Amino acid sequence: MIRAAALWLVPVAVCLALYWPGLTVFFQQDDFAWLGLSLGIYSPRDFWRAMFAPMAQGTIRPWSERAFFMGFYRLFGLDPLPFRIWVFLTQFANLALIAAITRRITVSRAAGVWAPLLWISNSVLISVMTWSSGYNQALCAFFLLSAFYCFLRGWYGRQWIAFLLGFGALEINVVYPAIATAYALLLDRPRWKKTLPLWLPSIAFTLLHRSFAPKVAGGPYLMHLDLSIFTTLGKYWLWVLGPIRLENITTPPAWLAPAASTLLTAGLTLWVARCVRRRDWKPLFFLAWFLITLAPVLPLRDHASDYYLTIPSIGLAMLVGQAAWTANRIVSSLLILVYLGFSLPVARTAARWSNIRSHRIERMLAGVARARQLHPDKLILLHGVNDELFYTGILDKPFRLIGVADVYLTPESAERITPKPELGFVTDYVLPQGPTLAGLAQGRIVVYEVGGERLKNITRLYEATSPLQLKAEEPRRVDVGNPLLAYLLGKSWHAREAAYRWMPGRATVRIGGPRTARERLYITGYYPAEQLEKGPVHVRVSVDGQPLPESTVQRGMERFDFDYVLPAALVGKASFEIALEVDRTFTPPGDGRELGLAFGVFEVR
Amino acid sequence: MKTTALVLLAALLVVPACRRREKIRVQATDEESASLASIVHTADPKTAPQLLKGFHAVEQNAWRWTMAKFAVALRPPKDAARKGAVLTLKFAVPDPVISRLKTVSLSAAVGGTPLSPETYTQAGEFTYTREVDARLLTGEAVNVEFTVDKAIPPGEVDQRELAVIVTSVGFEAK
Repeated sequence: MIRAAALWLVPVAVCLALYWPGLTVFFQQDDFAWLGLSLGIYSPRDFWRAMFAPMAQGTIRPWSERAFFMGFYRLFGLDPLPFRIWVFLTQFANLALIAAITRRITVSRAAGVWAPLLWISNSVLISVMTWSSGYNQALCAFFLLSAFYCFLRGWYGRQWIAFLLGFGALEINVVYPAIATAYALLLDRPRWKKTLPLWLPSIAFTLLHRSFAPKVAGGPYLMHLDLSIFTTLGKYWLWVLGPIRLENITTPPAWLAPAASTLLTAGLTLWVARCVRRRDWKPLFFLAWFLITLAPVLPLRDHASDYYLTIPSIGLAMLVGQAAWTANRIVSSLLILVYLGFSLPVARTAARWSNIRSHRIERMLAGVARARQLHPDKLILLHGVNDELFYTGILDKPFRLIGVADVYLTPESAERITPKPELGFVTDYVLPQGPTLAGLAQGRIVVYEVGGERLKNITRLYEATSPLQLKAEEPRRVDVGNPLLAYLLGKSWHAREAAYRWMPGRATVRIGGPRTARERLYITGYYPAEQLEKGPVHVRVSVDGQPLPESTVQRGMERFDFDYVLPAALVGKASFEIALEVDRTFTPPGDGRELGLAFGVFEVR
Repeated sequence: MKTTALVLLAALLVVPACRRREKIRVQATDEESASLASIVHTADPKTAPQLLKGFHAVEQNAWRWTMAKFAVALRPPKDAARKGAVLTLKFAVPDPVISRLKTVSLSAAVGGTPLSPETYTQAGEFTYTREVDARLLTGEAVNVEFTVDKAIPPGEVDQRELAVIVTSVGFEAK
């Protein structure tokens, strides 16, 4: 008993030693979007929608994303430690399951120790070990491993429970029947029929998911079902082996990574071939695990990501774990030495970097919170934000989580941050030039430099330098919820409410003109679902008196966005006026205001 | 064993819960009002907002590479509106630049008024100095733009456009 516990604790200890910075990491990137889900819940209906409505790419991951983030946020707020502890506990369970499965398949205690050790040492686990949004990989691995372990033990009822729960963690769970069938066909032929019913939920889930997932016509999520799959597979193979990833932390001699990768590939190939000649199919099953769990992402040619290897790398770890025990001692020592020699430093260094990067974000948020205390009535402008801070710490709107509104980037940021339209538009976060100059002149803006140990108030300096480079032009993006842009709105608009502002039956907005004929007018807004139950709302939009095609807000379009082709005559104009008119208004009980539509942003781009 | 594991799990989660934070622990900001400087050391974070465009990140805590066009906001020295001042740019033309581009010519413009250029044919450290007329030095801040006629384009030796390495730029009183 004690010996078994000690063997289980070895990989856990390595995990903690290697990824300790991942335990103390702050939130990053998508974490803020998931945490923000809780902020939009005002009714049971909102809750169920937040838990189960399909999100980006049609994903529904209620356990690993929605319940995880909403539940822990509810309990612990913005303290990341409980989130990280939970991820680590799940990974400890995965290590125990990998050990148990490997030991049961190989009948080797040593292989059962090596496999989890090799898996946790692989640097492709860096995302899941340092980023809470990567929890879906850890939890899916847990359900897959649990289901498979139950299958090995003949606990079919428990297998079904784990398998079905896995669909709430990650879509990759659909491949479980293929894993079970591959195992049965290669190593336990009499049980292959037991795996057939498992395919039914996977087929049903695949059909359901396809109906929810938006049709992808281009971009990184476009599926390429062609020969590029093999190129992508080659790329993932090199990543999971490890040596090539050394380039992420240093500049090794050009020959080193290819030589080490070739050595590992050749060593494993020869060993697998030898096993197959002896009719030992176990290595083939481990390779099948790698390929089966990687297969769903292989068509994503333009979206290769190391964290997709979290679950496939279990197959490689079990394979090398078995090799470590059964291959020639020199060969196995060499394989393990090369594997660990490259993976460990990359994993350790990347974990430290991720920790440092995340605490830059924490410092920024903590500084902004203080700035709001000091300047409760002013708009906060952040200066000096670089690509990394923007894409990891600002893009997913973290400021709402600390209850601070009206935080923008300085106009120069739009030029300094590399555009990545597939992730979002930098301009959505930038205060335009004209309103910046006006706000500074009126004393309604406070400017902070980010990037140092703490935020630095540079308002005085910025006031002096901004007239040298900013133009007092009309903005081409008008966020009607921003008080500094209220001068661009006609008199009929109601007072702002959070990020929105209601118009009555008619309203006008002034906005900067298009620079080219290709630029369009984009409008986003909101209309209550209960009002849409009474019928659609027709919106008439005209620009400098020229009518644009009528738009309709109807059921299911509570958050609407429209875009329009602009008349060529507007190209090059400093500004133009947008006139809006709706055919139906309502007055909420006890409010007294005539409400037409609520708008968020008008933009020419 | 199971009970111990459950107790351990509960403890791990409950202990952090005891110090639940509603939002975030605020951190003091540096509210000391920074004022516009007449001389900017490009590695000094205090005056970084005066580097208006064309400067890359600080390297070696000492200097910054620039693009072919770069600009800085400077405060005219005391009495400059009457006496004028001397514009001084301390910079280096590194070997890789000269070996690729042979010569580079640097020119400046103060408030849009051009100053005479200078050509450099060897690698090394240089100081570009020009007298600036008093009438250009009115107001709280002056925009000084520099142009290097050639630069190493992005992708050749670096992903950035590289022209010269600047350590400081400023107005000296006459």
